Amino acid sequence: MIRLTWLQFRAQALTAAAALAAFAVLLAATGPHLASLYAASRITGCRGGTCATAASGFLSKLAATSPYPIVYVLGIGLILAAPAIIGIFWGAPLIARELEARTFALAWTQSITRTRWLAVKLTLTGLAAMAVTEGLSLMYGWWAAPIGEAARLGYSGQPVGMGPFSLPAFDAHGITPLGYAAFAFTLGVTAGVLLRRAVPAMAITLAIFAAVQVAFPLWIRPHLSPARHTSAALGSYNGSTHVSGSDFAFTVDHLPSQPGAWILSSGAVNAAGQPVSTIPAACAKLPAGGPGLTPCLTGQGWRVAITYQPASRYWAFQATETAIYLALALALAGYCFWRLNRRTT
Amino acid sequence: MTAAIEATGLGKSYRRTWALRDCTLAIPEGRVTGLVGPNGAGKTTLLQLATGQLRPTRGTISVLGAPPAVSPAQLARVGFVAQDAPLYARMRVADHLRMGAWLNPGWADELAQRRIAQVGLDPEQRAGSLSGGQRAQLALTLALAKRPGLLILDEPAASLDPLARREFLRGLMEAVAEHGTSVVLSSHLVTDLERVCDYLIVLVASRVRVAGEVSALLASHHRLSGPRRDPGTLPADQDVIEESHTDKQSILLVRTDEPVHDPAWTVKPVSLEELVIAYMNPANDIPARRPQLGVAS
Repeated sequence: MIRLTWLQFRAQALTAAAALAAFAVLLAATGPHLASLYAASRITGCRGGTCATAASGFLSKLAATSPYPIVYVLGIGLILAAPAIIGIFWGAPLIARELEARTFALAWTQSITRTRWLAVKLTLTGLAAMAVTEGLSLMYGWWAAPIGEAARLGYSGQPVGMGPFSLPAFDAHGITPLGYAAFAFTLGVTAGVLLRRAVPAMAITLAIFAAVQVAFPLWIRPHLSPARHTSAALGSYNGSTHVSGSDFAFTVDHLPSQPGAWILSSGAVNAAGQPVSTIPAACAKLPAGGPGLTPCLTGQGWRVAITYQPASRYWAFQATETAIYLALALALAGYCFWRLNRRTT
Repeated sequence: MTAAIEATGLGKSYRRTWALRDCTLAIPEGRVTGLVGPNGAGKTTLLQLATGQLRPTRGTISVLGAPPAVSPAQLARVGFVAQDAPLYARMRVADHLRMGAWLNPGWADELAQRRIAQVGLDPEQRAGSLSGGQRAQLALTLALAKRPGLLILDEPAASLDPLARREFLRGLMEAVAEHGTSVVLSSHLVTDLERVCDYLIVLVASRVRVAGEVSALLASHHRLSGPRRDPGTLPADQDVIEESHTDKQSILLVRTDEPVHDPAWTVKPVSLEELVIAYMNPANDIPARRPQLGVAS
């Protein structure tokens, strides 16, 4: 059965291998120069405040140097798209094509149980899906390691250099691509088993996977571990101030004391810790954007409150999220076994 | 005699519709059995249940004495050629044979290669580009090379041209003669069944209307024509399968194990096709078979 699976999967596997190879060539061609730029940036061995400056300088330079911004974005895009592509082109047709072309009548009447037939197909193709996606991620991780290090030290706001927890970066690095690939693949297979037609199954796979990939980081990932809270005097952090009439807002996107932390929310609070947005009367006369406003608000007891996930939790988050996706994948696979054995055609 | 396929109260439903309902039958082993019936009689469903592709909603079915597809060993005992002989379009003919060898421990590769050469299939050709007749031949080869105890074919020749059909059935008969395999073959082409089957089952709306050896069925059915007569006045051993009357004349199809002596009747033999059509016609009320021996009830 392993040999038959390979015979039927060979063309797709070779396509994936070619894509991996092309990506590897692109990264290998640009990676060494990227590393030399990093070496020249003096981030290695920096101390205190010089780190953020050196990191920002390095990232600014990269952002202005072709082809790094393109490769940086392309790489993340490819890693994010790979599970969806695999779910659509490997997962959805896996069983649906057999049902559509009625070849199940051939497959299921050989001297091999349907459970074993499905087990081998799911395991081999699923492992290949995970290997391809994680392979892309590992290669890219090697290439982008200097950028990640610099981004951790000094968030620059540059298009190149996202923090480890930032939305697309977290999804493209570490071990999460394993989970995404397994989930997208089994999602496609399940859609194919249920809809019995490959093309609708492909469409529904894309729709559901995209929805999950948007919903998870927005609503589930921040709560995987209880967030930490900290507060400080208004003026002690760099951030963005927005003043409009009597409305005041202050947000930070980087905690100097916690490099690489994931800022979930930040904002001004009063002395009692309540969120505030209206400039009190005592400070209302000061010109908006003027240098006196922040000291005045600080004098009124205003502080900045920050909710965040520390950088040290990065791998715990990676592991938890991967485990959740793998559990979903196993549940879907289990359902496919049950469905094909009990309900059938 | 052991049964090749034995079903009791067998049913399969999809949501609210029954594809097969309360079907009870026994198909003997060691025969080439034709399963014939109108579209929707449940033939395909019955054969899919027998090969374990479907699981019964109700009732039980056993194949060669065991539930279908319970184990690799049981799967190995049953060869199946599905309707229109589905194959993997992108796999070559040779790949299909390799698949057969990989997935079937009892695979007879020499037989498979010989059959492929006999029917003139190019091993390098992709299955998607084969003609209907070639597909059927390849599917039959895959099923035969398993060396099954029972070979099940669902409308194997329905979509083939007459020449390809003849070739296919000849190949089937040669293989059966060589290996003594039991065969169950569904078809609505009575001429095909006549050529290959020695046992016949007519299935209408999941029920067996008639079952028996072809030669015995032909010997026990007669076309009687004569002056108009009420069928109720016939001897007790004569079951009326079909009747038609004009003002002066009656034409009956009767089943009886005794000779018809009444000189009023002109007695003619019936063809298998006439017999099958009479049993398939839902307008005909088929009497339950009376006991062969003993008093008619």
